[in-house]
Amino acid sequence: MKPTSPKIGLMKPPPVSISCRDLTLRFPVYGVDAKSLKKHLAKITVGGKLGRSHGATEVTAISGLNLELKAGDRLGLVGHNGSGKTTLLRALSGAYEPDEGSVEVQGHIAALLDLNLGIDPSATGYDNIRLRGRIAGLSSRQVDERMDEIAEFSGLGPFLAMPVKTYSAGMQARLAFAAATAVEADVLLMDEWIAVGDADFQKLAHKRLLKLVERAGILVLASHDVELLRLYCNKVMRMEGGVASAVTDIKKLDELLAA
Amino acid sequence: MEAATHMLRTGRRGALFEFQMAFRDLRASLERIDLAWSLAWHDVVSRYRGSILGPLWITLSMGLMVLGIGLLWGELFRVPIQQFIPFVALGIVFFGTVTGTINEGCDTFVHAGGMLSQTALPLFTFVWRTVFRSLINLGHHLVIVAVVLVYFGYWRTANYPVAALGLVLLVVNVGWISLLVAIISARFRDIPQAVQSVTQAAAIMTPVFWLPDRIPERYHLILDLNPFYHLLEAVRAPLLGQGVAEHTYLFLAGMAAAGWALAFSIFANTRRRIVHYL
Repeated sequence: MKPTSPKIGLMKPPPVSISCRDLTLRFPVYGVDAKSLKKHLAKITVGGKLGRSHGATEVTAISGLNLELKAGDRLGLVGHNGSGKTTLLRALSGAYEPDEGSVEVQGHIAALLDLNLGIDPSATGYDNIRLRGRIAGLSSRQVDERMDEIAEFSGLGPFLAMPVKTYSAGMQARLAFAAATAVEADVLLMDEWIAVGDADFQKLAHKRLLKLVERAGILVLASHDVELLRLYCNKVMRMEGGVASAVTDIKKLDELLAA
Repeated sequence: MEAATHMLRTGRRGALFEFQMAFRDLRASLERIDLAWSLAWHDVVSRYRGSILGPLWITLSMGLMVLGIGLLWGELFRVPIQQFIPFVALGIVFFGTVTGTINEGCDTFVHAGGMLSQTALPLFTFVWRTVFRSLINLGHHLVIVAVVLVYFGYWRTANYPVAALGLVLLVVNVGWISLLVAIISARFRDIPQAVQSVTQAAAIMTPVFWLPDRIPERYHLILDLNPFYHLLEAVRAPLLGQGVAEHTYLFLAGMAAAGWALAFSIFANTRRRIVHYL
């Protein structure tokens, strides 16, 4: 029987949500010159004019973005390279601080932006899984509990006891993927659909990601693959030069892309 | 996990707000202090992977250095070795902790770039990581300290509680210096070399390899104004059964207060930007 009152559906307050209000993110881009203190001092002593932000060029990556997502929303982000998709994902992950406005996220966030996060080539596969799990917020005991499952999924067997630098690129990708997807999240952030390894592993990886997406309350996926977005998302937003379109239904994706 | 389930990030709302956010970062790092410890432990384990003795390998080479310098320079300075070797041994071990934490502080944020650009981990976590790593290394080098104190009989006269207090003061002071160089090194990539030059110069200017009482009275400013001397003296003197001058404690307490105020203010003002420096 379906719950009649929406309150019954919300077991634990507050519910999973993402809320961005007038989010503006500016990016100082530091050139090689700007990273040298010697050159700074030289500029001052020879009377050169310092740039407004100390030789760094400011780029506005996102301007005035408003976004409200609630549990069940699967948002696809489309837009050209450099349109601000990844920056938005990083802001949602909490890594980038807004210059104006705010980002508020309720729920445990997992950002699968860079699989190689925290991978140490000289450490063994096991140590890397442990490290990655700790960074993702698991306790040592929780990591140990999941170790067998992660190890089995990676399919690397005895190689896990060897340093990661001895792995082939495909094996490294397997390890990174297995470790990165071993988390439970309410909010899942993804930059492109990450399916790695050989054909067999890709199938497994695909299944595992789907499970993760199903468990998560909210998915934000940036991708250039229109079919993929249609498959996994129910909403879509287009970014262009840091400005976001309104969030629309995935059925209107073609109109959005044509606009 | 409660800390990670609600995240709010906002634009600048004035200086007071920036300090509040900086304190929030500090608090979050303390709530997950075990993560910093895990990272530090991982660093030590992975750095010495493949060497059978682990960090004790460094301890061993340090021990040889103590022996070599202790025997030869003791002769050159005409100081009895039962006085000189313990002095040099403690000096090298604790001065190594000071310079190690400062030099490695330069990489604190630079090395954490990947993690900082896609997670909401507190920045302070990485500062503690560097400090813990130094302490883990120090733990290994304490073997030298123990051997020397026992062999030369200083263990009977050593004042351990006072030495522990000195070590706390040392860590607290080195902590802010490490934070400060971490921020500046992230912004300006030519800073680490400069920091290394300073710590190298400090090794010569500070009584690590020479006895402070050999310096003429008129040059005593080299000791009195040298922060490294006070840091070292607060730990070394009590272990050698000597008293610590009152002004050393005043100096270290003042330096800790002023240093943390400075480093924390700079942190509060650059916190938003650090991830973009990387």
